[in-house]
Amino acid sequence: MDSSTASILTEVFFETLGYWYIIIPTIFLGLIVGGIPGFSAANTIIILMPLTLALDLQSGLVFMISLYCAARMGAGIPAILVNIPGTAGAAATPLDGYPMAKQGKGQQALAISFVASCIGGLLTTVIALAAMPILARVGFYMHSVEMIVVMLFGISLIASIAAQDMVKGLIAGFLGLMIGSIGTDVVYATPRGTFGFLELYDGVPLIPALVGLFAVSEAFVIIEKRVIVNHDGEPKAPNWHDTFEGVTIALKRWVHIVWTSVIGLVIGVIPGAGASIASFVAYQQSRSFSKTPEKYGTGHPEGLIAPESANNGVTSGTLVPLLVLGIPGGATAAIMLVVMQFHGVSFGPSLFENQPKVGYGMFMAMAVSYVFMFLTILPLSRYMSHVTTIPTIYLAPMIISFTLVGGFVPREYMFDMYLALAFGVLGYIARRTGYHVAAILIGVILGPLLEKYFLWSLKKSDGDIMVLFSSTLGNILWVAFALSIILPMVFSMRRKRKIEVPAE
Amino acid sequence: MSSEHHKPPRQIGGELVIPILAVGFTIYFFSTIWNSPWTAQVSTFLIGGILLLVCAIFFIRCAVWLGRGEGTLGFGNLVTMDDIRTGRIGLLATTIGYVALIDTLGFTLTTFLFLAVSMLILARGKNAVFITLISAAMALTGWAVFIWAFDTRFPRGWFETTMKAVLANG
Repeated sequence: MDSSTASILTEVFFETLGYWYIIIPTIFLGLIVGGIPGFSAANTIIILMPLTLALDLQSGLVFMISLYCAARMGAGIPAILVNIPGTAGAAATPLDGYPMAKQGKGQQALAISFVASCIGGLLTTVIALAAMPILARVGFYMHSVEMIVVMLFGISLIASIAAQDMVKGLIAGFLGLMIGSIGTDVVYATPRGTFGFLELYDGVPLIPALVGLFAVSEAFVIIEKRVIVNHDGEPKAPNWHDTFEGVTIALKRWVHIVWTSVIGLVIGVIPGAGASIASFVAYQQSRSFSKTPEKYGTGHPEGLIAPESANNGVTSGTLVPLLVLGIPGGATAAIMLVVMQFHGVSFGPSLFENQPKVGYGMFMAMAVSYVFMFLTILPLSRYMSHVTTIPTIYLAPMIISFTLVGGFVPREYMFDMYLALAFGVLGYIARRTGYHVAAILIGVILGPLLEKYFLWSLKKSDGDIMVLFSSTLGNILWVAFALSIILPMVFSMRRKRKIEVPAE
Repeated sequence: MSSEHHKPPRQIGGELVIPILAVGFTIYFFSTIWNSPWTAQVSTFLIGGILLLVCAIFFIRCAVWLGRGEGTLGFGNLVTMDDIRTGRIGLLATTIGYVALIDTLGFTLTTFLFLAVSMLILARGKNAVFITLISAAMALTGWAVFIWAFDTRFPRGWFETTMKAVLANG
């Protein structure tokens, strides 16, 4: 980095700080829209498009970036407190976040999530800025074959979740994959398993599935208890101790934050891959190489840190192909592209020569947003965690009404509300009879993507299955995938032996 | 040890619901792709085949449990009298009503009715005034944020149309 770039970065940083009056209110807006299923940052930017276009370029960019980052972090709040991920990117967050909330550690869990999100987001922004030319090439090397292996990294999480009862876990996971296959096939558009509903030709919409499996089914389960937290004691008064404890827990695991946020960054730069894949892959990798894998799913801080730092790592990752190549990595990035083109910004390497303040300004806006988020949201965790002490007779109907309507929002079909209800019933049956709803959801989210890349690969090779092992990078990923399955087993056996030896 | 001896038999009937649904759905799915191009078949036959196999293993396991007397075909883990006592059946009925009526009555009015009726069922009729007020506040906040401020396309009905006219005329 030469001195002129450094001076531009410093100048842009301080300029961005001057937009605090846009960033802080947008952070709160982002937390709200991120927390309600169906209201993503992309939807909100579209809704507020006239406002965004009316602002000058710099203000508009700061607004969009802050909203994007805050919505990503906001999606984790209901996931932790009431087991409802605000977006598919936060679908792995409740696996350990919600058990913590049920144990009365909601405040610590929120603090851990905020620290992991902010550090993960901030760190990956810096890395993305420094390694932009290299990262921009990742998208070129990731073809359908390589993407299959990336998907398998995420899908293998089903087996981890199924560890307690492998047969039931696999039934849930493969049922999810079958449900995810509903819709037309990607090559000839042949409708499959749609029950005659035109609304299912595009596949099963994710938000109704998410709302039903997590929110609606959870609402029907929690009414058995007076409040969400396990003990029915009096709610604790808001205190700083739990927040600081959460911060300390997260900071002690800084290596974990760095590692999993880089997973998010790398997956984020691949166009078409997204936060949901990143968070599942990060959770799976975190669990595979943990010294205490058995603690995952029971309220383990590392199980919360992994998906949260990964999905915030994705936010900076998606900016790389957008700015360097003009290829949006996701829906929100695509809308940013439209807004920036309206203001006459041209993308590609020339952006950093012709309009360096715009290019670097987006990364600086992200970095400043994370700093502001840390300062404004962290103190609020002591109040937010009290959601878990609201009597369920009030909470459950509120969850059902607002999330069901959230299921309607993305496509505006009444059908999607019925679909969310159907998924709710399926999720309720699954919960009551010992099947993991997260395993079903992983299948629903990743199944269609896996099938798409699988079919593309086969189509390109005229049906030759060996195409899966035809690329160098793909083969390296296959080896890494095999190692990620085998090594944890080896480590686990070693640990067992170590425990047995002193006993003898 | 004693707790193991007195452990109630496993309620296998409830546990069989998901696998039976899975098998039914897979067979239906296969029927829709039987004459389709291979691109539509290849991955679903693979996934569906594995699902059928895993379900078959589970059915065999259940048969063994039943044979040993370790389980019954009951549904006690899925449906109990507690579902009526806790208001779960009532909540399910109001939820179905909410989805069915929202397109006709609009978001605000249906949300108010749903929240009020559901909370009253779950609270067994107690705190009626508080519940009415909180339901009205939540529904109106939802209307103000999502429909008035953000202009999202939530289902509109009598209330939304009236408020639009009132606000348009100052």
